[in-house]
Amino acid sequence: MTLAHSFLFIICFILSLQSFSQSKSQEISINTEIDISKAKHFFITKNWDSIIVHTSKSLELTKEQSTLDYYHYIRGFSFMKKRLYNEAKNEYNRVSEEFNLYYRIIRNLGGIALEQNQYKEAICYFKSLQNYSNYNLIESSVLHDLGLSYFHLTDYKKAEKYLLQSNTLQEKKQDTFLLIGSYTDIANLYYQQYKDPLAIPYFKKAYQLSKNVQSLKLKRKASLNMAVVEENRKDFKKALVYRKEFEKWKDSLNNQSEVWTIAQIEKRHAIDQKQKHIKLLTSENKIKDIQRNGFIFSSILLLLLLSTGIYFYYQKNKINKIVLSQKEELDSLNTTKDKLFSIVSHDLRSSVNALQQSNTRLLKDIDRQNYLALKKTVLKSSSIANSTYNLLENLLHWATIQTHQLYFHIESLDLFSVMQQIEYNYKPLFENKSILFSNTVPRASFVMADLDSLKIIIRNLLDNAIKFSKENDTISVYTDLKNNQLLLIIEDTGAGMSLDTKEALLKEGTILNKKKNQKGVGTGLGIQLCKSMIKKNKGKLFIESTEGIGTKMIISLPKLDSNG
Amino acid sequence: MDKINILIIEDTSEEALALKEVLEENNYHVVAIASSYQEALTLFYQLPIDLIIIDVFLNGNPDGVTFAETISITPNASKPFVFLTSSKDRQIFERAKLTNPFSFLLKPFNELEVLYALEMAVEKFHGQSNTFSSKDQDTVISQEYLFIKKKNALKKVELSSIMYIEVDDRYCHIVTEKEKFIIQISLGKISNLLDNQVFIRTHRKYIVNSNAIEQIVLADNLLLLKGNHTVTFSGRYKDLIKNFNILK
Repeated sequence: MTLAHSFLFIICFILSLQSFSQSKSQEISINTEIDISKAKHFFITKNWDSIIVHTSKSLELTKEQSTLDYYHYIRGFSFMKKRLYNEAKNEYNRVSEEFNLYYRIIRNLGGIALEQNQYKEAICYFKSLQNYSNYNLIESSVLHDLGLSYFHLTDYKKAEKYLLQSNTLQEKKQDTFLLIGSYTDIANLYYQQYKDPLAIPYFKKAYQLSKNVQSLKLKRKASLNMAVVEENRKDFKKALVYRKEFEKWKDSLNNQSEVWTIAQIEKRHAIDQKQKHIKLLTSENKIKDIQRNGFIFSSILLLLLLSTGIYFYYQKNKINKIVLSQKEELDSLNTTKDKLFSIVSHDLRSSVNALQQSNTRLLKDIDRQNYLALKKTVLKSSSIANSTYNLLENLLHWATIQTHQLYFHIESLDLFSVMQQIEYNYKPLFENKSILFSNTVPRASFVMADLDSLKIIIRNLLDNAIKFSKENDTISVYTDLKNNQLLLIIEDTGAGMSLDTKEALLKEGTILNKKKNQKGVGTGLGIQLCKSMIKKNKGKLFIESTEGIGTKMIISLPKLDSNG
Repeated sequence: MDKINILIIEDTSEEALALKEVLEENNYHVVAIASSYQEALTLFYQLPIDLIIIDVFLNGNPDGVTFAETISITPNASKPFVFLTSSKDRQIFERAKLTNPFSFLLKPFNELEVLYALEMAVEKFHGQSNTFSSKDQDTVISQEYLFIKKKNALKKVELSSIMYIEVDDRYCHIVTEKEKFIIQISLGKISNLLDNQVFIRTHRKYIVNSNAIEQIVLADNLLLLKGNHTVTFSGRYKDLIKNFNILK
């Protein structure tokens, strides 16, 4: 959540940054307007503290003179209301004379001087006011204050003059409040000069008027004045009545103030309650936040745990699968091997046995001195030895291939030479079986292959061809070209094979089947070895065969590019 | 033409003798048979040897490979060699392969396989692979010798003994001090392979060993060579005379 918050915040920040430069000037004017209206609002609601705080900020931002004047004015006013007269004076002095309410400032300055008992200064202020155009709006109060100033300076004549002037103006306006004050002041003025007869009517007037007003203070003051006056006149009865009235107003005033203080306390209490409530709510919110964060974290943790669990589960599955497939592979390999060994051992035994028999006959022939049969027997023996040797050789190579121990080195080879070398060993075998052999591989037939594996391949194919040939059959070896591949073809006119056999031979994997109608050695190992070796030599094996007519074994090998 | 001198390194004397028999039947000259690494090294440096047949395993150790490694890293000492082995054991072969160029002969082998392996060794050693098997060339040329395939076997002719070479289509008549014979190689190949500081083209048909020149008869455009051989030189190749320090 905090993330989202900060994200939002960043977006807002960017937006504000973008708009900031464009509307900077506009914003200032709008801001001032907002500030002024705020200040006005505080002014109307008489929230003096707020004004002071608010304007102190606004003053720093504003540069326009009229606004500055305004702020200083209301600040001064607020200070005055807070009875911080020196601050008020400072603020007022900062207001320029162009300010349209400047006369009020002078008026207020005068008032402050009066409050601070600087009467002469006050008089100066008040008198200077007479030059302002709006003077008549405040004339009565100014005159009144002038009177008061003189009164305090004990210049009773002037005081009387101004107070009376102010009084007449106020009587015209019928402002009860001011009139009561004015009457009281005049009365006080006369009373101070011991002009009791002049004073008393004013007191009475003030008292009469005070009966019609709500203000308990005025009422109390008027009745007190009357009580004092009657007391001084020794009219105690009346004085007592007034005193009682005074007490009554005083009590109710006290009551009122008590009610007010209670209200204040209640209000404060309510505020405290609210504050507590707010605190409670915020702490609740905090707890909620913490809970939510905890939930998120725990869910993330759980998710992580779950995903790792799943990951490991899959890994395990995968490994299991691999292990399973490997096991299957191993099993199949093992069965193949077992089968192979059983066949091979059987074949080996039979061929060695045949060799022994042949040797026994040889000995007999020697004993009988039957030299004609001797050559035949020796040829037969050598043929058996040869095929046994081939079987062993195949077995060995098969084993090395299975264990990846075979060294393999592909280089350019001349098929002609290779065929010559192989033919050299096979001549007696062909002779033995009276097979016609033709080798028409042209000179300089270069292919890319590994020499020994190529020899093994060709030998195996020739062995097979011999095996499946009858006497006087032909075996021919020749080459052909196809798609930049050199084809080595070993063709025989032997037994041939069925389509099924052919497909079974070309199929992947080791299929070991004892040949049905064959008495000779045969494990199928030879052809499997051929296939894997051809594959290693990047070649391919094709078989074309017709039963009873013959077989074409075709090896395609990559040709050496620059032939020569 | 001389026989090629072969050193056999083989610890089984029967096999060594059988091999020797086969080789001598095919007109190779077996100079010596060594049965150990030390003996082989000693013989190798003592005798004039053109080819070596090395059994990989000597008394159970792959000393044959060690021998090949030793002569391979000795500058100007190395000769073509053939490994003899009864198994294609991969580890040994990977090691033997590093003594490039190498060829090998897998036991058991027949006569033709031996001869083929020897040819391969010579042509690979001199960087002229597939020469002896090709239709149009039967000679590999080294720094000192011509190796010529005659029937099934190789013969060698010392280059310094050659007087001149007469080119005739795809054949070259080689004339040495003692004899005269024909090899199969194209003019382009032979002039590339011979050192052209020594063997100089004097005519469309003739390449002459400059060391054999005894006299230049400018009037008749004739070169008199050792052993009273004469070779003409054509105007096109007259500049060659500038190469000689003419005595005045």
